[in-house]
Amino acid sequence: MVDQLPNLGREKEMLQEMGFDSIDALFADVPAGVRMNEDLPLPDAQSEEELLADAKRLLGSNVALGDKVSFLGAGLYRNFVPSSVFQLITRGEFLTSYTPYQPEVSQGMLQAMWEFQSLISELIAMPVTNLSLYDGSTAAAEAITCAVRVHNRKAEQKNTVYISELTPPDRCSVIHNYCQGAGIEIKKLRHDENGLINLDDVANAAGSCAVYVEQPNPLGIIDGGYPKLKEIIGEHTALIVAIQPVSLGLVEAPGNYGADIVVGEGQPLGSPITAGGPIYGIFGCTKPYLRLMPGRIVGRSIDVDGKEAYCLTLSTREQHIRRHRATSNICTNETLIALMGAMHMSLLGPEGLEELAIRNMAACTYAKQKIASIPGLSIVHEHQSHFNEFAIEVPDSGKNCLKYLEEKGIIGGFDLSWWYPNQSNRLLLTFTDQTSGDDIERLSLSLESWVKEVAA
Amino acid sequence: MSHLFDHHGAPGKGYAQPKPLLDASKLSLPDNLVRKSLPRWPRLSEPEMVRHYTWLSKRNFGIDTGFYPLGSCTMKHNPRVNEVIAQLPGIADIHPHQPEHQIQGLLSIYFEMQEMLSICAGMDAVTLQPVAGAQGEFTAVRCFQEYFRHRGEHQRTKVIVPDSAHGTNPASAAMAGFEIIEIPSKVDGRIDLDALRAVVGEDTAAMMITNPNTLGLFEHDIAEASEVVHGVGGLMYYDGANFNAILGRTSPGLMGFDAVHYNLHKTFSQPHGGGGPGSGPIGVKQHLAPFLPTPIVSRREPTESEQEQAVDDFWYTWHEPEHTIGKVQQWHGNAGAVIRCWAYYRRYGKELRTMSEHAVLNANYLRHAIHREAKAAGVDHMFVDGAETVVAKHEFTLSLAPAKESLGISAMDVAKGLLDMGYMAPTVYFPLVVPECMMIEPTETESKDTLDTFAEDFAKVLQVDAETLHNAPITTPVRRVDEVYAARNLCLHHPFDE
Repeated sequence: MVDQLPNLGREKEMLQEMGFDSIDALFADVPAGVRMNEDLPLPDAQSEEELLADAKRLLGSNVALGDKVSFLGAGLYRNFVPSSVFQLITRGEFLTSYTPYQPEVSQGMLQAMWEFQSLISELIAMPVTNLSLYDGSTAAAEAITCAVRVHNRKAEQKNTVYISELTPPDRCSVIHNYCQGAGIEIKKLRHDENGLINLDDVANAAGSCAVYVEQPNPLGIIDGGYPKLKEIIGEHTALIVAIQPVSLGLVEAPGNYGADIVVGEGQPLGSPITAGGPIYGIFGCTKPYLRLMPGRIVGRSIDVDGKEAYCLTLSTREQHIRRHRATSNICTNETLIALMGAMHMSLLGPEGLEELAIRNMAACTYAKQKIASIPGLSIVHEHQSHFNEFAIEVPDSGKNCLKYLEEKGIIGGFDLSWWYPNQSNRLLLTFTDQTSGDDIERLSLSLESWVKEVAA
Repeated sequence: MSHLFDHHGAPGKGYAQPKPLLDASKLSLPDNLVRKSLPRWPRLSEPEMVRHYTWLSKRNFGIDTGFYPLGSCTMKHNPRVNEVIAQLPGIADIHPHQPEHQIQGLLSIYFEMQEMLSICAGMDAVTLQPVAGAQGEFTAVRCFQEYFRHRGEHQRTKVIVPDSAHGTNPASAAMAGFEIIEIPSKVDGRIDLDALRAVVGEDTAAMMITNPNTLGLFEHDIAEASEVVHGVGGLMYYDGANFNAILGRTSPGLMGFDAVHYNLHKTFSQPHGGGGPGSGPIGVKQHLAPFLPTPIVSRREPTESEQEQAVDDFWYTWHEPEHTIGKVQQWHGNAGAVIRCWAYYRRYGKELRTMSEHAVLNANYLRHAIHREAKAAGVDHMFVDGAETVVAKHEFTLSLAPAKESLGISAMDVAKGLLDMGYMAPTVYFPLVVPECMMIEPTETESKDTLDTFAEDFAKVLQVDAETLHNAPITTPVRRVDEVYAARNLCLHHPFDE
């Protein structure tokens, strides 16, 4: 029995007042040829109690990362989101609102989003930020198409963009889907044996529309070559840098080393992993990109009394006004999750962010020291700086290693052959602020015993 | 006013964290990448942070605050149990790269949603990956594109949209690389079959249309329109923005559509505060299924060793469609939204039809009540129906053109007057085919009493003199906001002392 409809049992009364004799009369305009005449072949309606029991049974059967010791990251990171964030986000005034088309009654969300823009702008050192894109991959794709719109006229390599060859294939696929319609050609930038980007190769990208790199890169490396990139590619080629936002508590903001557009997966600030969504994509840029960028933007303004007020601005870029000439098709975005990000950032403050970054990097560094001492294993690019994660090379297939670790109650990381098919004996291990010393101890002991077993 | 950036507590005292596993001095970064100065974020303790956001929330209007008849947006009640479910570790603490045997429960829910959505729309296959309606549109037209490329029909470069369509339709098709052909609608916003026949041809890839249309009217010629487009080898795309009106009464499949997107956050109520998150799965007919994004969930009988971890009689696996377009979001879509919408659907089951019936009942009743109350108050000459019709579907339009002409009262004035009465205003100035348009969608989760009271208050607003209405709202946290000022004096972040 359905229980969410206030007018159940009052249908007749309402219909009579309108002069109709049945609900069918309200659907008389649906031609007989397209009517659905049978009931939907679906199960009975459930009460809240029945639903909750089913949800607990089905979702409870999943292995949550926290049920085991987990070292799986590869773009999404286990974090701790303070309880107050979850409490506040369910305030109905936030939760059940929508796009602030009527700013007079939407000041709360508008101001919160303007503050979100301010927090992100400071974090990445960019003067302009939008209210969020869907995720890091679509933010990367939108950054690339935006850069092409801005630079293509003057570009020597028309419709051409260079991206790091390490960019995960799933992200590349999103980029391809977003770019192919505009006829954008994606070329790859090589990395050296040491994991760092090949700066000579980057020189080939000068005169193209954009260069896209990630910091830390997909193998967790903080690449000291990036501050040289902008000078190499020149002012007519956009430098797009994707970031892990927590890392910016220690690592220089891309805006301070030449980036024109900064994107990233916002998830580590404010959002649980949630199987990959809803999370939020960060997008910030410098002024030359402002009028051709995607997504919603809040501006501070005044009302008719001259009182401080906020509203959406620069909407003429958007689909509801510009239609097929819009800078993007995005309408519904991830504002509510961005709001969780803003709340988390508010609680952290500058020093809290730094501390959080230290905790993440300390866990990674500590694990690197431990694992480096295991005979028979090697850390790939051991002498680079790593944030959150690093790759290891194992004496058998990564797949077998993960299987062994799972038997020991460990979700052992990411099999890099998923991204790079020729790297079947490499794993990407991830450590965050949620990784304890005991977790790392358990991992290294298990790895050690596995190596012995393989050798035997 | 409470300003986030006015809080300057002592460094690091607001929020305590456990000690790091190593001292910061043990960490090394390339010299040129050590952050020189931390972001100039404010410093708040938890009590201050909670109070700031609570203060902000009180300056915001949601469905929980009051009636939210924002046309085209289907602002229905969000059942709270869905929030409880979405916070369970079995979804919140799941990584999309976990192996299948660790997430059988999640995969079974994905499968159930794929099946349910296929059934409701009369489609053969569904992907849950697109995370918003617009992304669903984009995904579908990308599938169309690859379908035609696969068949060697490279000349199909044009997508037809009626001028009453949502802006995302042309924007999504253009993003995929299609040329847009906009055709005029008839005065009631319905398809003009002659205009359609005049533009279709060998170069037609698809037509994108929503039904009921943006005026809330059912496109009774939809089967003929499908025939016209299919007749030249094109595909039909159903914009599911208005799906809430027809569930269980008809389906895009019955109307001849080849593909459809669902706005799960609307029809199945994922809360999308401030503008998102959403979820925009698409359903397609068999001929398009091989092109869907990867992966989708399929099922088979479990092997003996799998029996123990199976959640029911099946084993669920990720499956890559044969000619997949790849990915449109890096992970598995907005899984948390899919779970909430699954929970919403489970509360209705086979009675989803009742949901749509009540949405249509409420819209028609409100339309009736508004006319009734306006007549009683003697203000019925101030507006007309956006289109003449006996019945509307889940929403309807009014034109305030008579009020504008005779008294200088615009649709925007009335909208602002309604804010003063404690309502969210209806959508205004869309669709463009209706002058001084107000688009009203009550949804099925409003009571008759709310609808009656709103109708009375609507008539009251129409009795207010023009000057007062020009000045409305006056009871809101701020009064009319100067959008031109915002655009001319761009202030997009806290200015500090710059």
